[in-house]
Amino acid sequence: MKKKFICIICPNGCEIEVRYSEKGIEKVSGNLCGRGLDYVKKELFSPERSVTSSVEVRNGSLPLVSVKTSKPIPKEKIFAVMDEIAGIEVEAPIRIGDVIVKDVLGTGADIIATKNVDKRNV
Amino acid sequence: MKGSSSDFIIIGGGIVGCAIARELSRYEARTILLERESDVAMGISGRNSGVVHAGFYVEPGSLKAETNVLGHRMMPKICHDLDVPYREVGKIVVAKNEREIKDLYKLKDNGDKNGVKGLRIIDREEIKEIEPEVEGIKALYSPTSAILDPFLLNVALAENALQNGVRILLNTEVTDIKENGSFIVKTNRGEFRSEFVINSAGLFSDKIAGMVGIDRYKIYPCRGEYHILDKNRRHLIHGMVYPVPPREPGGLGIHLTPTTDDNIFIGPSAEYIEDREDTANTKEVMERLYSEARELLPKISKKDFIRSFAGIRPKLIKPDAKKPEDFVIEESIDNFINLIGIESPGLTSAPAIAKKVVEIIKRKKRLKKNRKFNPKRKAPVRFSKLSDEEKSKLIRKNPNYGRIVCRCETVTRQEIIDALKNPLGARNIYGVRKRSKATCGRCQGGFCIPKIVEIMEELSNPSIDELTLKGNNSRLFIGRTKDLRKND
Amino acid sequence: MIERDVDIAIIGGGPAGLSAAIAAKKSGIDNILLIERNESLGGILNQCIHEGFGIEIFGEALTGPEYMQRFIDKVEQLRIPYMLNSMALDINEKKCITVCSPEDLIKVKAKAIVLAMGCRERTRGQICIPGTRPSGIYTAGCAQNLINLKNYMVGKRVVILGSGDIGLIMARRFKLEGAEVLAVVEILPYSSGLPRNVVQCLEDYDIPLYLSHTVVDIRGIKRVEEVVIAEVDEKRRPIKGTEKRIKCDTLLLSVGLIPENELSKMAGVSLDPITNGSIVNENLETNVKGIFACGNVLHVHDLVDHVTLEAELAGESAAAFVKGELRNESNIKVTAGKGIRYVLPHLISGKKDVKFSLRVMYPDRDKKIVVRDGERILKKIPRIRINPSEMIQFNIKKEYLKGVKGLTIELE
Repeated sequence: MKKKFICIICPNGCEIEVRYSEKGIEKVSGNLCGRGLDYVKKELFSPERSVTSSVEVRNGSLPLVSVKTSKPIPKEKIFAVMDEIAGIEVEAPIRIGDVIVKDVLGTGADIIATKNVDKRNV
Repeated sequence: MKGSSSDFIIIGGGIVGCAIARELSRYEARTILLERESDVAMGISGRNSGVVHAGFYVEPGSLKAETNVLGHRMMPKICHDLDVPYREVGKIVVAKNEREIKDLYKLKDNGDKNGVKGLRIIDREEIKEIEPEVEGIKALYSPTSAILDPFLLNVALAENALQNGVRILLNTEVTDIKENGSFIVKTNRGEFRSEFVINSAGLFSDKIAGMVGIDRYKIYPCRGEYHILDKNRRHLIHGMVYPVPPREPGGLGIHLTPTTDDNIFIGPSAEYIEDREDTANTKEVMERLYSEARELLPKISKKDFIRSFAGIRPKLIKPDAKKPEDFVIEESIDNFINLIGIESPGLTSAPAIAKKVVEIIKRKKRLKKNRKFNPKRKAPVRFSKLSDEEKSKLIRKNPNYGRIVCRCETVTRQEIIDALKNPLGARNIYGVRKRSKATCGRCQGGFCIPKIVEIMEELSNPSIDELTLKGNNSRLFIGRTKDLRKND
Repeated sequence: MIERDVDIAIIGGGPAGLSAAIAAKKSGIDNILLIERNESLGGILNQCIHEGFGIEIFGEALTGPEYMQRFIDKVEQLRIPYMLNSMALDINEKKCITVCSPEDLIKVKAKAIVLAMGCRERTRGQICIPGTRPSGIYTAGCAQNLINLKNYMVGKRVVILGSGDIGLIMARRFKLEGAEVLAVVEILPYSSGLPRNVVQCLEDYDIPLYLSHTVVDIRGIKRVEEVVIAEVDEKRRPIKGTEKRIKCDTLLLSVGLIPENELSKMAGVSLDPITNGSIVNENLETNVKGIFACGNVLHVHDLVDHVTLEAELAGESAAAFVKGELRNESNIKVTAGKGIRYVLPHLISGKKDVKFSLRVMYPDRDKKIVVRDGERILKKIPRIRINPSEMIQFNIKKEYLKGVKGLTIELE
């Protein structure tokens, strides 16, 4: 089987072609460096993504706090993680780096706050 | 609402209906105005050029001419009393060739017969003096032609009527009318009984008339598309600039009309369409408007457009007819007064039409003067029009005047609050737009709509269904950010 | 009315304004005033909750709010005065700014002004899309604000016009929150966003990308019900017969950013019709002495890191101006030549190191950017990939600019 990737590691954006089977990768061509090789290996067999989103806030000066995964998570778990954080509410005040969810859905990644939200002035 | 009884029911909250409401509020009477949309000025009255015509386009001896000339005379005082802007910017009708010059003289003749003051034919030199950017060989100059803001006027008429005792019911659509001694008007929000019914339903006036068996009127919708130019082009013209009208009775030709907010309207076009509610813009007409406008004013370019829109004329004439029809202002059956086919010069004529309606009523019913009638109504503050000292004074009294929400039009937080708290009860983006001019600028609400929504939340904690662009299902949102995932 | 005298007034408290303020303070000026019209500092970064900010400046891929907080913290730490909910209404040619604030109308007399107002979005009205005017039509930035800051989901079946980075980021945003993105429509034959974003925002989510297409009609009376897209020819005109109807409830417009220079015009600043931003010299000074410009109001950027560096220069220059140390001899013209859409700065002195910023006209591979003075070639910069959507920057040291009469930057 053949697949083409555009490597996103550096601005060169090499177009890398990979020939592979169930046994593994047979040939890689088009990459200018070894990082591209690592990238397509991961993309082909265990793609990962960082996810950024928002979580509802209780008693905050803002209704939402922006969040991110502390490290990339398996691509196929993205929607499940999104469902998981949809039901959560966090109490203000919140600071950048606060852990909102530890080890979300067993991915090893935390959901952490990326914005400061103060308590709402009553 | 069942069984409530009034003297007058007015169907339609456009400029004509609200002018009639105000006129009737001079008398002691129970008057209700029914409007099917979420606000007044949602139909034709919210989609026109805002021109107060002097009266040289209309046929001498017609109702159009009579009401045009009288309306034009009445308008300055009405605008003054209601605290809405009125600007006598003047108009030139420009001829580019010999055939058109002949038509200019015909227009002047028309105007003279109708009693229009100050009309004169001017030559190329004088055209350049009045309008340096315009190309033309001769023109008809009408110094008393004026512009106003049709939204502000329509809202002001309604508010003044309300202030003087008229009930105004929005979101109330007439579905049927029965006659049983008096009229029983059925709506989606109950039944209303009344001695008189006044049909000022604009594009639907033929349908309303049909409800009481008056079938002889049929409206042929004729759409007019417009472009709106950025304010930074306002200096290109001084007053209105029109070409000589085309000979086919479809419209008036592509006009350049300044607005009281210093934009310029290009248009309207004139196309007969099937669907009287289809206010879409089309590619062909938008292109044509642009190229024809450039013939009059070569300095216009497409990047000056900020918005396009379309209005629909309620024409009583068939598309292939030879001459225009007159207004229908008549008591068609006892106590049922029809206003049908009120296209241009409808805005100008509205106050005069209202007087005529009252004359018709007075022939049948004694009207006692309302001693408490107050013709004056104060408009909310327009911060952007104030001097620096006035601005400073306002802010020191109320910090909400110091927070700008619409930065393109310099509209403050307090003005948005005032617009949302309007006495008619219209609470949506278009309601805010009509009254405060927020969202009318070059970013078209991109920056201020999120802030306006925030203020709407603070004032009345609306549900998702209540946060609309223009009422009736024009929802802005489908829910909260997390709702789609929560409901999975 | 209140009157205030300041050394440097900075209009806009987003990434450009923040960095300009910090740089001016570090250059020894204390009497600074940062004027921000929103309720908080940070500008557009407040709503850019995705990652990718700060790779060059911090070596980290931060989210927008994280990036802005570092600069906001610095502004607080350095005690730089700022005003929130305050909007500049007017600047006259004497550098007096009329500011509308909840306290009062304030006349700010400044020795130097840094323009950092950012930009606005191109609208439907400006590109004349035919059709009706229902609810559900949003520009991308407006939708981003509503979804990320106001907690409103604007729609559930979305079509996006414009495949620049903002459109792509929003496509992913919609998918993440559970909406359907039915199509991303792009009038050019190539996407104008970064390849990484095409991968991570469209391909990851199987969102169809229609290149060489545009939206030709919008239908719906109260709310959007349908859009019609069509293929376009080389002149970008719709081709009859290629129309495709897509049922949807939202049309998102990501069709370009326009620097917000209304204030600049009032102050007498001359604008470049290509960038829609001020004409500036190597100190980022405009034609009005003591008025400087930086960030998106000067030219639309792709990376906020570049905004930060540019704003630092503007802040330093404004401080030098106040101290009387800015020498105004920038009269060597810099011209955009073949294949180059624009180059900044427009004018240089030849006596200072200069960082040039430019954009090319068309995407291409294996090209050289050539800097020449008449026939003499000063520098050749080879690039494997060039793209109009990726700003190119390079430095030229003052030693190489000796004796230069006029510079032309072109593609080879």
